[in-house]
Amino acid sequence: MNEVFTKSMARNIFYGGSLFFILLFLGLTFDTTRQLPKLDNRQAITDKVALGKALWEENNCIGCHTLLGEGAYFAPELGNIYKRFGNNKAAIKGFIMSRPKDGIPGRRSMPQFNFTDEELDAIAEFLKYSSEINTAGWPPNIQG
Amino acid sequence: MTALTQTNPAGQLNRYPPGDLAIWIFILAELAVFAIFFATYAFTRMNNVELFNQFQQHLDRDAALINTLALITSSYFVVRAVAAIREGASQICVRWLLAALGMGVLFLAVKSAEYGHHFSAGINLSTNSFYMFYLSLTFFHFMHVIMGMVILAAVALKARRGGYSIEDHTGVETGASYWHMVDLVWLILFPLVYVMH
Amino acid sequence: MQYQSQAVAKPYFIAAIGLFVLQILFGLIMGLQYVVGDFLFPEIPFNVARMVHTNALIIWLLMGFMGAAYYLVPEESETELFSPRLALVTFWVFLAAAVLTVAGYLLVPYATLAELTGNHLLPTMGREFLEQPTITKIGIVVVALAFIFNVGMTVLKGRKTAINLVLLLGLVGLAVLFLFSFYNPTNLVLDKYYWWWVVHLWVEGVWELILGAILAFVLIKVTGVDREVIEKWLYIIIAMALISGIIGTGHHYFWIGVPEYWQWWGSIFSALEPLPFFMMTVFAFNMVNRRRRNHPNRAAVLWALGTAVMAFLGAGVWGFLHTLSPVNYYTHGTQITAAHGHMSFYGAYVMIVLTIISYAMPLLRGRKVAASNKSQVLEMWSFWLMTVAMVFITFFLTAAGILQVHMQRVMDKPLPFMYVQDQIALFYWLREGAGLVFLIGLIVYIASFFIGNNEPEAEVVPST
Repeated sequence: MNEVFTKSMARNIFYGGSLFFILLFLGLTFDTTRQLPKLDNRQAITDKVALGKALWEENNCIGCHTLLGEGAYFAPELGNIYKRFGNNKAAIKGFIMSRPKDGIPGRRSMPQFNFTDEELDAIAEFLKYSSEINTAGWPPNIQG
Repeated sequence: MTALTQTNPAGQLNRYPPGDLAIWIFILAELAVFAIFFATYAFTRMNNVELFNQFQQHLDRDAALINTLALITSSYFVVRAVAAIREGASQICVRWLLAALGMGVLFLAVKSAEYGHHFSAGINLSTNSFYMFYLSLTFFHFMHVIMGMVILAAVALKARRGGYSIEDHTGVETGASYWHMVDLVWLILFPLVYVMH
Repeated sequence: MQYQSQAVAKPYFIAAIGLFVLQILFGLIMGLQYVVGDFLFPEIPFNVARMVHTNALIIWLLMGFMGAAYYLVPEESETELFSPRLALVTFWVFLAAAVLTVAGYLLVPYATLAELTGNHLLPTMGREFLEQPTITKIGIVVVALAFIFNVGMTVLKGRKTAINLVLLLGLVGLAVLFLFSFYNPTNLVLDKYYWWWVVHLWVEGVWELILGAILAFVLIKVTGVDREVIEKWLYIIIAMALISGIIGTGHHYFWIGVPEYWQWWGSIFSALEPLPFFMMTVFAFNMVNRRRRNHPNRAAVLWALGTAVMAFLGAGVWGFLHTLSPVNYYTHGTQITAAHGHMSFYGAYVMIVLTIISYAMPLLRGRKVAASNKSQVLEMWSFWLMTVAMVFITFFLTAAGILQVHMQRVMDKPLPFMYVQDQIALFYWLREGAGLVFLIGLIVYIASFFIGNNEPEAEVVPST
């Protein structure tokens, strides 16, 4: 008698279906890669921005904050912080600089990182660059 | 799941649904994807009727009609292939499958020409929401045609080696079921995207 | 235990449970920091606690997967492991790397750790879940290669079952996709785009193959249902997982600066992502109902069914809740995400590792089939304590998330993040309470390994 539901057919569907969707995914990735220059604000990437991103990473900022909505949910979204601070890099630098070493009693506080002025500038520049990425209108409002 | 069984005059076991049950799970999943895709198309069109109507005019409806006929014909050929193998006629089955594959090639050629036309005009997925849906839906379907052809080709190869018989031809029915699904999706896609105002 | 070399699974399982404890302790620290902001500040700032919490989770799940592979591959292949010694060596290397990395997180500031480990040579640190120093990442790759070689050679020389092949495919996929963690361009959009190839394609892709294979193995063992039946369902379920999950990656591409068509592709395919999990639930219950014997290890059966249900709820339902782009526009990066993350990781991956441990550990410790009734009862208590606690953690975070979304994103006059956090503090307290219950469950779980060892093995309960 014929088997109604065979393992080999199930296996073929698994391999065939997976391959099909991997190819589709690669195709979409190819198109995305071609469209990105129009969206990702790459023309704004300077050495300073690169330094800012390195500092962002080496101090694990993502461990508390979100950036374009990804990260930890303990501290405010920073993808649009440049705009929230009134397109003002000095305000960003001032905020980071002024964090008390021992925190704020009973409250969440950002650590004091003792950045140099050049480093602060790079971080602010990185956040400015991030705020100018075309994110399809996200976040819904300035509060992030 | 219980499959309904009945015996036809040739004394052969015909099941419902035909083919392997596994492919039917897959077909249902595929139809679900297309259904959601069509629904979102309809929903988006509702909010952008003018845009959709305007750019719909730029599509090549004659080419799409040829493709519709090609797929319907291919489905007919596949039906004949299944009928042939139910009689145990492997080589006739192979011939019908090859004919169906030929129609598939025709579909791919016509559709590729259409794409070539669009791309040379600088149209892509990000042009506007009509083209995003048009290209996504048709290309997703295009890939299904290729997939269906790979399956039919595999079935044809096995049939040519005499791999199927009156008693055991589930593989042919499985491939046919998948191919009819690909055809069916196009029969919805064609009026929805090319014709309907 | 049918093969001597399966014994190498034991240290993996023990280390996994150890890191599980570490993960939960740091989870509780973070939970408290949510409401008592200066708790342990500046000694253990939140970001450090979070790294320990998430990295310990990833490492102990990997340990669990490896232990599972070392346990089930010889049995499936019907041959001894290719090299038990290599398995032990990689175990100690892996554990040492994990301990050193966590020590690094806790003992020096992260920036110092980056400097000490030469992050500037090949910057990979400081991205969510991939915070490990580059040298640790290289270590993970080496361990993974040795592990896959060992398991692969075993499969090659023995019987090739569907479970073996799917597991191996999942593990190879895991290793290959991890390589994208070494790609870290300055371009933030590209960085994020490929970061998800590790994170999403792990948890909603290849890990599901591993999950499916382990679940199928345990179900064959505890139900006695025909292998053919279980293996064909395994294939169908993982086929659905990849069909929906690969393009489903798009649900992470809504707001990170890539073309907007991802909103459609991502929404449509992730709408289907609950399907494989639903099928898994139906499958697990079906197999247990069709069982040919009552296995004396009732705890393992409970974990297996629990995995299927909780994975569906956490990954399927809570994932679907916020996966459609018009919804995600408001919920992206809020406590809703955290709620989903907690229940799906627990339901799918924590529970599958605990399932295989529950099945294998009594055998690894010299029992013939199962632990004593007394330890099983304790283990089942821990199942309910942890699972119910996790359900409540998820509920409280969801409530917090809904309020957060409303106040910060929806209201006419949206309120600032920190102000909103103060308003929803009540739910964070409740979450911390549920977290304590989880810890109690974990303590009971560990106790179940030490209590009842002198009692006779559990017998089969006659079916009614």
